[in-house]
Amino acid sequence: MSAEPTFEDAQRELEQIVERLERGEAGLDEAIGLWERGEELYTLCVGKLDAAQGKIEELARRVDAAKP
Amino acid sequence: MARVEAIQYGDRKVYSVSSFNHGVAEWLQRLPTVWVEGEVTELRRNPRWQSVFFTLKEPNDGACLGVTIGRARFDALRLDLTDGERVHVFGRPELFEARGDFRLRALSLERFGLGDHLAALERLKKKLAAEGLFERKRPLPFLPRRIGLVTGNDAAAKQDLVATITARFPPARILVAETYVQGPLAANSMIEALREVSSAPEVDVIVLSRGGGSFEDLLPFSDERLVRAISACDVPVVSAVGHEQDTPLCDLVADARASTPTAAARLVVPDARALLEQLDRTRAGLARGAQAVLERRRGRLLQAHERLRRAPALAVERKRARLEHAAGRLRALSPRATLERGYAIVRAREEIVRSATAVVSGDALEVQVADGRFGARVE
Repeated sequence: MSAEPTFEDAQRELEQIVERLERGEAGLDEAIGLWERGEELYTLCVGKLDAAQGKIEELARRVDAAKP
Repeated sequence: MARVEAIQYGDRKVYSVSSFNHGVAEWLQRLPTVWVEGEVTELRRNPRWQSVFFTLKEPNDGACLGVTIGRARFDALRLDLTDGERVHVFGRPELFEARGDFRLRALSLERFGLGDHLAALERLKKKLAAEGLFERKRPLPFLPRRIGLVTGNDAAAKQDLVATITARFPPARILVAETYVQGPLAANSMIEALREVSSAPEVDVIVLSRGGGSFEDLLPFSDERLVRAISACDVPVVSAVGHEQDTPLCDLVADARASTPTAAARLVVPDARALLEQLDRTRAGLARGAQAVLERRRGRLLQAHERLRRAPALAVERKRARLEHAAGRLRALSPRATLERGYAIVRAREEIVRSATAVVSGDALEVQVADGRFGARVE
């Protein structure tokens, strides 16, 4: 992957992978590849969510501090 | 006594003044003796005169009739008449020959009695009712700029009403017109006073007032002229005449009636204290209403703000939940669970080894287990 996908794109891809695996069409090699890709996407998404959460908490702290 | 004799001038018959008067006088004597009703005015009695003189006047149109009655006869009646009193005169027409004066020679004289008054009042009431005079009722002003008060000249009655009105509404402005409220001159006097206050500037309501009185005392308040004057008055009139049984006609023609000064005050001015209290209540309600609107808005704003604060975290949580759901499914389906149970995937030359015959001794293998990969060699 050249450019890092957005959270939504990553999530969508992850879900497509899950659907594909659920249908049981993928061969073992493909399934393993899909799984590895899925895990990668999962890690990416969790990272993005953690970052967002951190930003939100930081902002909330700043707003609370600005209150009289 | 002159005889009725004419002098002949050719074919013209001419009478002397005294003959003419005598002739008319004689002819008048043939008229019957009748009762005549009217008001006594210009009563003249002198102990040296043989007769008493007065003029009988028709109150409605002012028509006049001279009356003469023997002094002894008049004194014997002990009527003690005054100007303006209504009487029945029994007499016959007569010409005073020496002066050519036409008059009524009274044989008897009766003061208009209570029963007569009652009957006359009843007739008048029917007549005025038929004219529709008692039907018009104008609304009284809520807050008159000035109040016209037509009242008796005795201090008590006036003070009573003025005090009650100002107690109820202290800034009230009252224009007082004092009049006779009793006796023969009362009706005219009240009409004059009514005219005076109704034409005064800013007078928006008039109170016609008199404390209680006997039926006779209150007769002027049923006078046709006064009733018509009230009806024609440009300003609404409140009748505040204390009475027990017989309603004076002014009560019927007035726009409103009150039986006591307090009731009259209640009709013409609002209660200042109640008005102020109501105003205060309204103002308080207004403040409360504005406050309530403000608080509702503030509440909604706070709610919106709270949601704003929570929204991003909530969105993250939702996304995380969806992600974990997908991840859970991914793991359930993937070989990882199998690997975690101790199985391994073996690859040789990037291909999964599915058969022992696929490798020979010395081949490099890649072994994948749950948590990673390592290299191996076939023996």
